[in-house]
Amino acid sequence: MNPLEAVEIARRQMTLFFIVDTSGSMNGEKIAAVNTAIREVLPEIADISSENADAQIKVACLQFASDVQWLFKPADVEGLTWTDLNAGGMTVMGEAFNELNKKLSRKEFLDSPTGNFAPVLFLMSDGQPTDEYRKALDSLRENRWFKVAIRVAIAIGDDADKNILEEFTGNSELVLTAHTPETLKQMIRFVSVTSSKIGSRSSGIGVGGGSANPEEESKQAEFAEQVKEFKDENADLEALSDGF
Amino acid sequence: MKELSSNTRIPLSNGITATVKQKLGEGGQGSVYRVEINGNDYALKVYNKYPSRAFVRNLEDNVKKGAPTKHFLWPLWTVDSSEMFGYVMDIRPKEYVDFSKFLVAKARFASWSAMINASIQITYAFRELHRKGLSYQDLNDGNFFFNPTTGDVLICDNDNVCPPSTNLGIKGKCRYMAPEVVIGNNKPNNLSDYFSLSVVLFMLFFNNHPFDGKRVADVPCLNDAIERNVYGENPIFIYDPNKANNRPVRGIHTNVIIRWPLFPDFFRQAFIEAFSEDVLHDPNKRKSDNEWLRILTQLRSQTITHTCGNETFVDLDKTFTLCFNCQKSIEKPLMLTIGKQRIALYPKMKVYANQTSSFDDMFTVTSEVIINKNNPNIWGLMNRTQDKWKAVYPNGKELEIKPNAGLPIYKDVEIQFSSHIKGNIQ
Repeated sequence: MNPLEAVEIARRQMTLFFIVDTSGSMNGEKIAAVNTAIREVLPEIADISSENADAQIKVACLQFASDVQWLFKPADVEGLTWTDLNAGGMTVMGEAFNELNKKLSRKEFLDSPTGNFAPVLFLMSDGQPTDEYRKALDSLRENRWFKVAIRVAIAIGDDADKNILEEFTGNSELVLTAHTPETLKQMIRFVSVTSSKIGSRSSGIGVGGGSANPEEESKQAEFAEQVKEFKDENADLEALSDGF
Repeated sequence: MKELSSNTRIPLSNGITATVKQKLGEGGQGSVYRVEINGNDYALKVYNKYPSRAFVRNLEDNVKKGAPTKHFLWPLWTVDSSEMFGYVMDIRPKEYVDFSKFLVAKARFASWSAMINASIQITYAFRELHRKGLSYQDLNDGNFFFNPTTGDVLICDNDNVCPPSTNLGIKGKCRYMAPEVVIGNNKPNNLSDYFSLSVVLFMLFFNNHPFDGKRVADVPCLNDAIERNVYGENPIFIYDPNKANNRPVRGIHTNVIIRWPLFPDFFRQAFIEAFSEDVLHDPNKRKSDNEWLRILTQLRSQTITHTCGNETFVDLDKTFTLCFNCQKSIEKPLMLTIGKQRIALYPKMKVYANQTSSFDDMFTVTSEVIINKNNPNIWGLMNRTQDKWKAVYPNGKELEIKPNAGLPIYKDVEIQFSSHIKGNIQ
C-alpha cells in the first residue's frame, strides 16, 4: 500500500437512536410527518458524519406498537436508506424501554472497537403506554449509557404522556411538543441535526471549566441550551392549538 | 437573526456596500453568505446573536491590524448595525479542501512534498500571528484548508484571534486543547497554541491523534470525565518510550502504524519530546512554532525523489536508508551543511532562501540539485539567485558561481553564499 494513501482515521462511534411510537393513533399524518422528516434529515446527518474526524455517526431505529421491533440496528448514516414506518396497534412503551436497556451495552449495539461517544436517545410518542412501563423505565434510568446520553423527546399532540417523556429526558426543557405535521417535521430536523453535531464531536471546553452541574455531561448541557434557544425562537409553535 | 435574502444590500465599515448573492453555510455561531463588493465575490459571516462588546472591539482591532500572512482568511471589513454584526473575508477557492476530509481519507496529498509544504505554511502562519502579539486559541481540524496538489494552506475562523489569555468566550475541542486548558488551569495563550499546533502537525503527518492508542480505544464510552482525563489530566503519547500502555492498535490505528517508521529518527524524536509527560504538563517547555519550522524545513531537506520515481526520506545519520516505495537501499548522499541545516544533495532537491541567506524566507527557492545532461553521474548545485556565490575547493582553488550557473557537487567543497553564510559539502 502507498503510505500516502491513508485509511480513515480511527473514529469513535456516535449512535443516534430514534425510538418511535408507531401505535394506531400515530396512523395518518403523524407517522407520515415522522417518515418524511427522518428521510429528509438523514442526508444532513450523513454530511455531518462524513467530514467528522472525531466520530462516525450511526443511526438506529426502534419502533414500538403492539410489540417492539428494530427497523434497523446501528448503521452508518452515510448511504442509509429510510424505510417508512407503519402505524397500528397498542403502545408497549415499557417493552421498548426494556429493549433499549438491553441494547445499550458494549456487548450489544455499542461494540465499536474504536469506542463510542455517548449516544443520542430521541423518543417520539403521541400517547400513553398500554403496558406496565414503570419498572422498565426505572431500570433503564440506571443504565450507564442512558445516564450519559443526550436524551430528548417530542410529544406529538396533546394526548402524549408528557410526564413519562420528562422522566425519560430527565429535564422538562428537553420535551418538545408538536401540534402540527409541519412543526413536527421542523422539530425532528432540529433535534436530529443539533444532537448529532454536539454528540459526535470531542467535548467542548469552555474557557474556565465545564458544566456547572457536575452530574450533567457538558454535551447534554450544550444541547439543552440549544433546545431552549430553539423553543424561545419558536414559542409560537408550541403554543399552537392541537392540530392533530 | 433572520436569514438574509439575495440582493439584500449591506453597508460595510469602509463605507461601501455588499450585495448578498447566496447562503454558503451555517455554523454554531452564525451563517456565511457569498456577497459581491465592487464586482468581486467575498464571504460574509453574520452572527446569529449580536456578540459582546469585547468581541466586537477585538474583531475591529484585528481588521485594523490586517492579516499576519496571506494564509489567513482574515476579517477585512465589519458589518455593524443595530440588528446584526458580521465581517467580510476572502472567499475560499474551490481547490482548497477541509483538513477533516484528509483525516477521514476523502482527500489526500499528491505528494509528501505537498504534505510537508502544508506543515511549513501552517507553522509559519502561526509564528507570524504570534509575533504580532496575537493567539489563535482554538486550533482544530475545522480551521484549515489545504490544496492537495501543492500543500498550500488557508486558515479560517479567525474571529477568535486575540491577545494571549484574553477571554472572548471561545470553546475549543478537548482533543486539540492543551492539557492545562482542558483541566481549566489556564486560559488559552501562545503556549497552548504551541501544543495545539503540535497535535495538528502530528495528525497531518500520521493521520492519527497523538493520544489515541489502546488506552483510549478501550474506553467504551468517552464521556466528559474520561475525555478530560485522557486529553487533559493524564494524556499519554502513543509512542511514549516510558509508557507502553497506549500504543497504536493494529486494525484500528492503521495509518500511524504504517507511517511512523517511515520518518527519519530526528523527526520522530521531535514528537516524542513534544508529547513527553514532562513537556505536556509544563507549557514553558513546549516547542515554539519557530522550532517546529526548523524541524519541518529539515525534513523537507531530507525528502528526496528516488530513482524509482517516488519520494522517500533519507536518514542523514545512517550510511544507507531503504526507499519505502521500492525497498531498495539508498546510499547516504552527500549533504550540504549550512549552520544547523543539512540538505541531502539528491537530484531535484531544492534549497531555500532561509538556508542560503539571512532572509527568513522558507518558500523562495535559491538553489536546486540537477543532473548533468552529458554525464548523469555528475550532479550539480544551481544558483537560482541574482547573487554571485563562491566555491572554495580543498586545495584552496576558488570558483565563482554566477546566477543560473551550476557547481558540480564534490565532497569537501565550501560554498560561500554571502560574506557570513557558508555551506560545506560532506
